[in-house]
Amino acid sequence: MKPKHIILSAIAVVGTIFATSAFADTIAIITPSPDNPFFKAEADGAKARAEALGYDTIVLSHDDDANKQSELFDSVIASGVKAIILDNAGADASVAAIQKAKDAGIPSFLIDREITVTGVAVSQIVSNNYQGAQLGAEEFVSLLGEKGKYAELLGKESDTNAGIRSNGYHDVIDQYPDMELAVQQTANWSQTEAFTVMESMLQAHPDIVGVISGNDTMAMGAWAALEAAGRTDVVVVGFDGSNDVRDSIKSGGIKATVLQPAYAQAQIAVTQADKYLKTGSTGVDEKQLMDCVLVNYDNAGLLETFALTN
Amino acid sequence: MREAMRQSLKFFVVLVAIIALSACKIVIEDGSTGKTDAGVSGDNDRIAALIDKTFDAQLFPEIKTKAQDFETFRKAIAADIDKAGQRFGHRGAGQGAAWNFSIKGTGTIVDGKLDSRARTFSVDMDDDANADLLIQLGPVVKGTALRDFASFYNFNDFRDQIEFAKLGRALNDRATASIEVDGSGYIGNQIEFVGVLTLSSSTTRILVTPITLQVAP
Repeated sequence: MKPKHIILSAIAVVGTIFATSAFADTIAIITPSPDNPFFKAEADGAKARAEALGYDTIVLSHDDDANKQSELFDSVIASGVKAIILDNAGADASVAAIQKAKDAGIPSFLIDREITVTGVAVSQIVSNNYQGAQLGAEEFVSLLGEKGKYAELLGKESDTNAGIRSNGYHDVIDQYPDMELAVQQTANWSQTEAFTVMESMLQAHPDIVGVISGNDTMAMGAWAALEAAGRTDVVVVGFDGSNDVRDSIKSGGIKATVLQPAYAQAQIAVTQADKYLKTGSTGVDEKQLMDCVLVNYDNAGLLETFALTN
Repeated sequence: MREAMRQSLKFFVVLVAIIALSACKIVIEDGSTGKTDAGVSGDNDRIAALIDKTFDAQLFPEIKTKAQDFETFRKAIAADIDKAGQRFGHRGAGQGAAWNFSIKGTGTIVDGKLDSRARTFSVDMDDDANADLLIQLGPVVKGTALRDFASFYNFNDFRDQIEFAKLGRALNDRATASIEVDGSGYIGNQIEFVGVLTLSSSTTRILVTPITLQVAP
């Protein structure tokens, strides 16, 4: 071979080595707004696991807007990510975006919320919100001695989990004829909105003895309103397992919540993504249910950032 | 002649239309690109049909044949719950899901909670006067051990966790529908049962959902 050719080949080989080692594969992590510590814990968990496995990450929020989610998908597809970890913005509305990524050769691994079709995402690691809601409702009913008037705070209507949790609550509570639903209203997952809603619920129904809430941020808002009204006798139960509610439980405020193991779930999704990218399979079924755990005074001390130690 | 033909033709056309319509299958599209079976409104019917098909023919026999004698079960889970689960248990649907077991035995009723919608008997199985387990009598039943013990109910076959949960509830209702516990005076009576339970660890309280239950008078 002529010397010039040898030099050019050597440069080509060295160039290739640089290209493959300088830029790690990227995983995109897309969730609802991290203003809610639950979603922040998901994103943090996924990011930590991905980086531990040698990936770069892009962390984005769709703000529960399916259109924005679609745009984010377009942009990560264009930038050539290898996989997407997603807590989606709508069980039906998200299917098209996930399909588009699949068509572009990018697998999606869903956490927390499911979508209503299979065969599009590779994994759906879904919190068993229904089972969790049943646990919360059983505790609620038990604390109230199986009787009394209660109020329910509903989550954001566009979030499937709002309906799933409410259904789960009623699956249990409606089996008790002496439990009476006095009023049911949405506070859209918002702490400040729940404060106002709780205030007006109390004024209209001063004889309620319990409040069951679709999530922890609303439970915190409700509890603040109850405290302000001197009604700390009212039993409040939330859902998610946040540090705020944990602290309230420990100081005798809110009585219980239900933990969704958000951090662990996100990590498991990344582990499955990695296995899929390396071997072409996750080794498990697409739809995987992660059970929720009741948190009350007995185990609140073990709860930290959406994980129970031990 | 023409009029008769026209009438026959009309009749013939109507006849064809009737035959064509009765051969039609009405498919309810729920709009998603995956499963085309009916949505939430069809859940109860589908679940009821599934239970009719599987409860007596598959679930009952599976629970009965795999039922472990209580002492054997207790020793096994105290030694190593995962090994016990692999030998004769079944995991529920999902990551880190708890083990479900089937057990059988005879014990003494030492206490009863019958003034609740979630009625239970506390049963002493080893003659030391302390309760070893609780048996659920309904009508309110906690947990989904019946669904999760079965080897043939798979979450992937269901539209979503709501439909899957409805199965769990319907199974519980079916199993406890025939349990009649009236009046009082059960303390000290012998109770014989076969039932399932869910355990996340070897120290979890044993809460049994029975499929057969007999209280000696």
